[in-house]
Amino acid sequence: MINFAEIRKQIEIDLAAVNDKNSLEVFRIKYLGGKGVVKEVYSSLSSVAPGDKPSFGKEANALKNDLSAMIEQKTLEIKSLGSKSSDNQIDLTLPGVFQKVGRPHVLHQTIEEICASFEKLGFVVQEGPEIETEFNNFTALNIPAEHPSRDSFDTFYVQAEDTTNKGRNLLLRSQTSPGQIRVMQNNKPPLAVIIPGKVYRPDAVDASHSFMFHQIEGLLVDVDVKFSDLKGLLTVFCQKFFSEEIKMRFRPHYFPFTEPSAEVDISCYICKGKGCSVCGKKGWLEIMGCGMVHPKVFEHAGYPKGKYTGLAFGMGVERIAMLKYGINDIRLFYENDKRFLEQF
Amino acid sequence: MKLSLNWLKRYIQVNLTADELSHKLTMAGIEVEKVSKENNDVVFDLEVTPNRPDCLNVIGFARELSAILDQKKQIPSFKPHKMPTKKYDIQVDDKKDCARYIGTLIENVHVKPAVDWMESLLKSIGVRTVNNLVDITNFCLMETGQPMHAFDADKISGNKIIVRRAKKGEKIVMIDGVERELDPSILVIADDKKPVAVAGIMGGKESEVTEKTHNVLLESAYFDPVLIRRAARKLGLSTDSSYRFERGVDFDMVESGANRAIDLILELAKGDITKKDEVKAVSKLKLSTSIVVSIEQINGYLNDKLSIHACKKILNNLDFEATLFGKNKIKITPPSFRGDIKQEVDIVEEIARIVGYDNLPSTTPLIKPSQILPDEKRQKRNAIRKALLSQGLNEIITYTMVNKRSLEKTRQESLSGISIINPLSQDQEILRPALLASHLNVLAANINHQQKDLTVFETGKIYIGGSEKEVLAVALSGKQNSDWRNHARKTVNYYDLKGVLVKTIQDVFGAEITVKHIKKNYFDETQSVAIFLKGQEIGEMGLLSDEVVNNFDIKNAKVLFAQLDLEKLLKEDWRHKKFVPVCEFPAIIRDVSLAIKTEINFADITQEAFLLGEGILKSIDFIEEYLGEKIQKGYRGIVFSCSYQSDKKTLTDDEITKLHQRIVASIIQKFSAIQR
Repeated sequence: MINFAEIRKQIEIDLAAVNDKNSLEVFRIKYLGGKGVVKEVYSSLSSVAPGDKPSFGKEANALKNDLSAMIEQKTLEIKSLGSKSSDNQIDLTLPGVFQKVGRPHVLHQTIEEICASFEKLGFVVQEGPEIETEFNNFTALNIPAEHPSRDSFDTFYVQAEDTTNKGRNLLLRSQTSPGQIRVMQNNKPPLAVIIPGKVYRPDAVDASHSFMFHQIEGLLVDVDVKFSDLKGLLTVFCQKFFSEEIKMRFRPHYFPFTEPSAEVDISCYICKGKGCSVCGKKGWLEIMGCGMVHPKVFEHAGYPKGKYTGLAFGMGVERIAMLKYGINDIRLFYENDKRFLEQF
Repeated sequence: MKLSLNWLKRYIQVNLTADELSHKLTMAGIEVEKVSKENNDVVFDLEVTPNRPDCLNVIGFARELSAILDQKKQIPSFKPHKMPTKKYDIQVDDKKDCARYIGTLIENVHVKPAVDWMESLLKSIGVRTVNNLVDITNFCLMETGQPMHAFDADKISGNKIIVRRAKKGEKIVMIDGVERELDPSILVIADDKKPVAVAGIMGGKESEVTEKTHNVLLESAYFDPVLIRRAARKLGLSTDSSYRFERGVDFDMVESGANRAIDLILELAKGDITKKDEVKAVSKLKLSTSIVVSIEQINGYLNDKLSIHACKKILNNLDFEATLFGKNKIKITPPSFRGDIKQEVDIVEEIARIVGYDNLPSTTPLIKPSQILPDEKRQKRNAIRKALLSQGLNEIITYTMVNKRSLEKTRQESLSGISIINPLSQDQEILRPALLASHLNVLAANINHQQKDLTVFETGKIYIGGSEKEVLAVALSGKQNSDWRNHARKTVNYYDLKGVLVKTIQDVFGAEITVKHIKKNYFDETQSVAIFLKGQEIGEMGLLSDEVVNNFDIKNAKVLFAQLDLEKLLKEDWRHKKFVPVCEFPAIIRDVSLAIKTEINFADITQEAFLLGEGILKSIDFIEEYLGEKIQKGYRGIVFSCSYQSDKKTLTDDEITKLHQRIVASIIQKFSAIQR
C-alpha cells in the first residue's frame, strides 16, 4: 500500500542531503527514474480500490510535479553555489592575465601634473627651443654682459653661430626663462603661460646635480598684476599640488629678471616643520623662485614702458619629483632602469 | 659668509634669541643656513645673494638689522688722519682695472701676536690669526667689507708700487706657499722689478708681514670685479678678498676702510704714518642718480596701504638718502655701497623685504583668457605618447649629449650632431644627431641587471646643422608580453615593432603607413625599412645588426629600433572622427590559402585584390604565414581572409563566389601563385 505521507517525508530527508550535481542526479533517478518511486506509485494504481482511484491519481500527479519543481529549484541552488566539485573547477588564486600598460616617465608625469594645475587656472602651455641665443637666455632677462652665469663654467656653448649676433655662438639654455621672452616677443598681454622643458648647466654629476635637467617656467602679464597676486597664485598651486595642510613662506631673494624676487618654501611634509634630514633641519623646503617681472625684461620684449606688470616663477622638476616621491638620487631619472620606471 | 653675534653686538643692540634673529634675517633676504654655538659666541652661516656685496661684512648686517628692527646702530668713526705730505710712489697703468688705490706707509710698527678681543672674534668666524698687523687687515675686511693688504715695505724694491697686468710667464710665490704662473689677463701689484701680489686675491710670500717687519705699506683699493673674478677662476683660488672684489666693494669704503685700519694699527702696533699716495679714476663711482617714487606706486605694486613715513623710515634706516618730495613722493639717493638700486622697483623691493613678504597681502589673480592657443604639437605628441603607453611601452628620458665615439659604435659615423664647445666630459662632446646610441645604452644597462624584456620609447630632440629637431624612438628587445597560459613566449620581432607604429599612427592620425626596404649600416640587411605616410618619408625601423648590438655589450639579444621624424608627423591632421552608420547587411568571409614566391610582397596582393573588389571587398585580414617543408622551395604559404559586404543589400552567395573567384584567379595569374 502506498503511503504518500511517508514518501514525502523520505523525499524531504533525501533532498536535504543533496549538495551537488551528482547527488541531485542520484535523487532524480531514485524518484523520477525509469524504476523510480513515482513509476512505482503509478504502477500500483491498478491495485487501488476504484472509488479511491481519482484521489490517488491526483496525489500521484501532485507528487510528480512537486518532485520536478524540487529538482529544478535544487539545480539552480547548486549552480549558484558555484559547485565546488564540478568539472569547471579552477584555481581561483592563480594570477590574472593582463595586457601590459606602459608607464610615462616620472619626470613627464610631474610636468604634466604641474602644467595641468596651472592650465586649470587659465594658463596655456608653451614650449621653446633648447638651443638659444645669448640675447634670449641672458641679455633680455636683464643679466648683464659680464655676469658670471654667462661664463663657460656655467653655460654650455655650442659650435653654431648665432645669426642674430655675428661672431657669437649659440648656447644651450640654462633656464626655461628664454621661453618667456619668446612668448612676449610674439604675443601681447594679457597672457598666462607655463613653459616646461629641458635645461643645461655644466655641473659635475652627483646624487643631486645633473648637467641636464627640467624646469617649468610660469609667466602672467597684464595691466595690473600685483605682488599680492604672486603670493596668492603660488599658494593656491602649492596647496593643490602638495597638500592643503602645508604652510608656505616667501623669502626675499635675487634674480636679475624679477624685482621684487622671492624664493618659495613649503613646510617640510616629512617632519611637519620640526626639522629632519630631508629639509636639512630647517623645517622648510625650497621649491621655487619667483618674482615680479623686471621692467627691463618688458623693455627687451618690446612692450611699452610702464604699461604692464607681471609675475614669473620657475621650478626644478627633478627636485619636485624627488621631494614628492622620496627619490634620493637625480641620476636615477636618466638611467631608465625598468625597476625604477615601473614604480611610477 | 659667517657672522658672529658678539661682533654684531658691537654695533647694534640685539635682544633676540639666535632663532629669532635667524628668522628675521632669512625673511629679509639673507638666508641663515646654519646656526652654531662656539665658545661664548653664536655664529650664523649666511647665504648672501650676489647683488648684495654690502652685506658681506658685519657693519652691513648691523645696517640691515637696524632697518628690520627699526633700531639705532653705532658705527665706529672712520675719520681721516692728519696725513704726511711726503708721497709714496704709486702708479696705476690702467684705471679701468683699478679705479682707486690708496697706499699708506707706516714706519716703526711693532709686530706682535694677536690681540685677545680681536683674536676671539676672528676665531669665531674661522679666520686664522697670524700677527697683529695681518689680523687688523682681516678684521677690517670682515668689519667694513674692504679687503686690505699690508706689505713689508722694506721688501718692495724701488719704494714704488705699480698696478699692472702680469707679463706672460711671470711667476709669483703667494702667501699660501704655492708658486703660480701668471699671464696678461691677471692684474698684479708690482714693485719696480716683479709682482709682489696678485691684485685682489692674495699677496706674495716674499713681501708678507712677519715679526721681523718694521715698516708696512697698507693697500686699500677698488679693483675691477670682472677682472678679479676671471683671475680667481683661472688661478683656482678664491679668497675672502677676491670674493668681495668680484661682487664689487664700496668705492667710498676704500678710503674709510684704510682709515679704520690705520686707526687700529696706530693703536695696537704703534708706528708713524710717513708717506701716502692715492690714485683715483673718478671722484665718486657713478651710481644711478636719484630715484623718485610715489607712495601710490609702492602701494599699487604691493597692493598694500603703507604710509609714506614708514617707507621713508625704512629707507633711512638702510642709509639711503630719502626725503619727502611733494605730498606723496620720496626722492631717494642710494648710498655708494648699493650699486644694485637703480630704479623704482628696486625701492619697492627694499620696502617689501623689510616690511616682510609674509606681512604683505595675498590675492588670487584674475587670469584673463589670452589669445595664445594651446600648442597643438604638444597635444599630438601627448596623444602619440598615450598610444604607445597603452601598448605597454615604458617611456624613457635620456641625456641629449653623447660621446662622439658612440656614433662609431652605432655605425652612424656619417652623422655629426652639434659639438659642445665646453663639455665637462667626453660623454658631453656632442648634442646627438640620433637617438639610437642613447637607447642602446639604456637597453644594455637593463640587460646587465637581468631585465631582458624591454619595450621603451622616447620623444626627444636630435641636433643637426645648428638646429634641433624632435623625433620619436622606439626600441624593443626580449620576449613578448607574458601570459602563463601560453608558456612558450615568443621573442619580439619586426612585426611587433611594425604593429606598435601602425597602431599608434592609425590611432592618432587615422592614416596607414607603408614601408620600403632600405639598407643602413646599423640595420640587418634584410629586415629594415623606410616608413612612409601619405607618400612622405617619416622615419625608419628595423632589426639592428648584431655588430651594432654587440658594440654595446648586449649579448644574445635581438633589438628592434625605429626612429620617426616628429617634426613631420606632428604636422599631420588629427584622425578625422565622423560617424558612419554601422552596416546592417551581413558580411561574407572567404579564406584564401596560397603559396607565393618568397619575394612577392603581401601588400602587392592586397592592392590587386582591392583593385578588383568592386567596392564590395571591404577588408583583408592576414591570418597566417607558413615557411616550411610542405611548400616548394622559393615559395611560402600565406592564408588570409576577404570580407565582402554591401551597404545597400544582403549579398547572395552566388554574387560573392563569382567575385571572389575572379580576384583569386587574378592574383594567381599575376603573381604566379599556387592555390593550396
